[in-house]
Amino acid sequence: MNLFFREIKAARRSLILWSIGICFMVVSGMAKYEGLSGTGQSLQQMISEMPKSLQAIMGTGTLDLSTAVGFYAILFTYLQLMAAIHAMMLGANIIAKEERDQTAEFLMAKPISRSQIITAKLSAALANVVIFNLVTLILSITMVSKFSKDGESLTDIYLLMAGMFMLQLIFLAAGSSIAAAGNKPKRAASVGTGILLISYILSLAIDLNENIKLLQYITPFKYFEAKRVVAGGVLDPVFVGLSAIIIIILITLTYVSFRKRDLSV
Amino acid sequence: MNMFLHELKAYRKSTIIWAFSLVAILVLFMSMFPGLTRDAADFKKLLEGYPEGVRKAFGISLESITSLLGFYSYVFAYILLCGSIQAMNLGISILSKESREKTADFLLTKPVKRNQVVTAKLSAALTSLIITNGIYLAAAVIIAMAVSTKPFDIQTFTLISLTAFWVECMFLALGVLVSAVVTRIKSVLPLSLSTVFGFYVLNMFGAVIGEKAIRYLTPFKYYDTAYIIKHSSYETSYIIIEIIVIAGAIAASYMIYAKKDIHAV
Repeated sequence: MNLFFREIKAARRSLILWSIGICFMVVSGMAKYEGLSGTGQSLQQMISEMPKSLQAIMGTGTLDLSTAVGFYAILFTYLQLMAAIHAMMLGANIIAKEERDQTAEFLMAKPISRSQIITAKLSAALANVVIFNLVTLILSITMVSKFSKDGESLTDIYLLMAGMFMLQLIFLAAGSSIAAAGNKPKRAASVGTGILLISYILSLAIDLNENIKLLQYITPFKYFEAKRVVAGGVLDPVFVGLSAIIIIILITLTYVSFRKRDLSV
Repeated sequence: MNMFLHELKAYRKSTIIWAFSLVAILVLFMSMFPGLTRDAADFKKLLEGYPEGVRKAFGISLESITSLLGFYSYVFAYILLCGSIQAMNLGISILSKESREKTADFLLTKPVKRNQVVTAKLSAALTSLIITNGIYLAAAVIIAMAVSTKPFDIQTFTLISLTAFWVECMFLALGVLVSAVVTRIKSVLPLSLSTVFGFYVLNMFGAVIGEKAIRYLTPFKYYDTAYIIKHSSYETSYIIIEIIVIAGAIAASYMIYAKKDIHAV
């Protein structure tokens, strides 16, 4: 339990800074919504008839910019990216920092098993991710409801946040497994970010080209995409299942490889 | 000179990896260009059913987006993002790594001034960026010629590609300044990623909502590709701002680093 609180305390400052970042994004983003809400209906219709690849370049997709939720969904794409980076770096650093800062020896000499160490560290990271998600949720709900017209439903936002939470868990697990299984702890965060960037760029490329749509199963950014969630009104069960499997595999990998890890002290 | 060559060697692998990843991203996106032009041609036929006014307003932006330069500037935003991460990483790590890796006492007891250390390291970082951009530019021109069916303005193309280098210089200077000011940097990546992505999100979102003031805040917006395509030149006021920012940051770094307390062990 000590270790858990120690980790929470260590991540506190960065969590506060990230929260300020989200706050800035959501508040300043939604504040601009009013100026845009007058978009004509005919333009909206025209955009919806464009080929998918052109929509992707125009940056709107199939989202209806004239509603507050539709506008928020565009903002959500960037929030999702921020959340993924936060989770990935948190997961990688929380495991790798002991070796990086030469404190592994100190920690390992304590009378707790390696599995207990991982459990404490991962639960601390999980708590951070949950707080990150809740801060985003609360800010989003307050800002969107301030600008939405009567009768607009906000359930989409809860759904989007649930999707973002799954994405955060995937990247958290990915970060921790890279740090636990890789042989260079210093590189863990860089490798993780490299993978994250590749999957982000891949998700953009899939928007441009229908032929490589099959690749959407590889990149988590495609799993809970704003336009699909808003249009469907539900998280795709295939992707929820896929995410759960990925998370379980990566967490298991973290435990198994950290237990046998040759720590450099 | 020894220091310069040593740094260059230390960053050799990362420079090559960065250059080739940039080229790979470009190949991935540009390979979609032929498909996109076909989509656009279909859509233009569909447009003919719409009233003249709408058609005109839409046709122009369609024309510019589906031209080679228009599409390239869309893709280029992501190249720029990756290049900036490289530059920021370089800038932050090159000075701070000595005290992080406990080699500061070794280096600073050599009979060279601190200013000489900074000069050698800065020029090594700059050389690394020049090499990356040189490889990228050469590859970009070849790829563009390969996918383009119509002739395009190669001077404008080069001007757009070179903006990566100018923006990277700003991030490099910013990174060096950060590493000179902050006493102890445990890990480089979280710092550089959050800075670059902060600016990137600001830029992307500023583009969606059409905010003018954001242009001065984020280096990503200093070289507007639409302006370059139109005038085949850069905007003078932003060049001046860039020079002032870089000169200020570098001068401050020299002064701060010369008197900095550096922990030897």
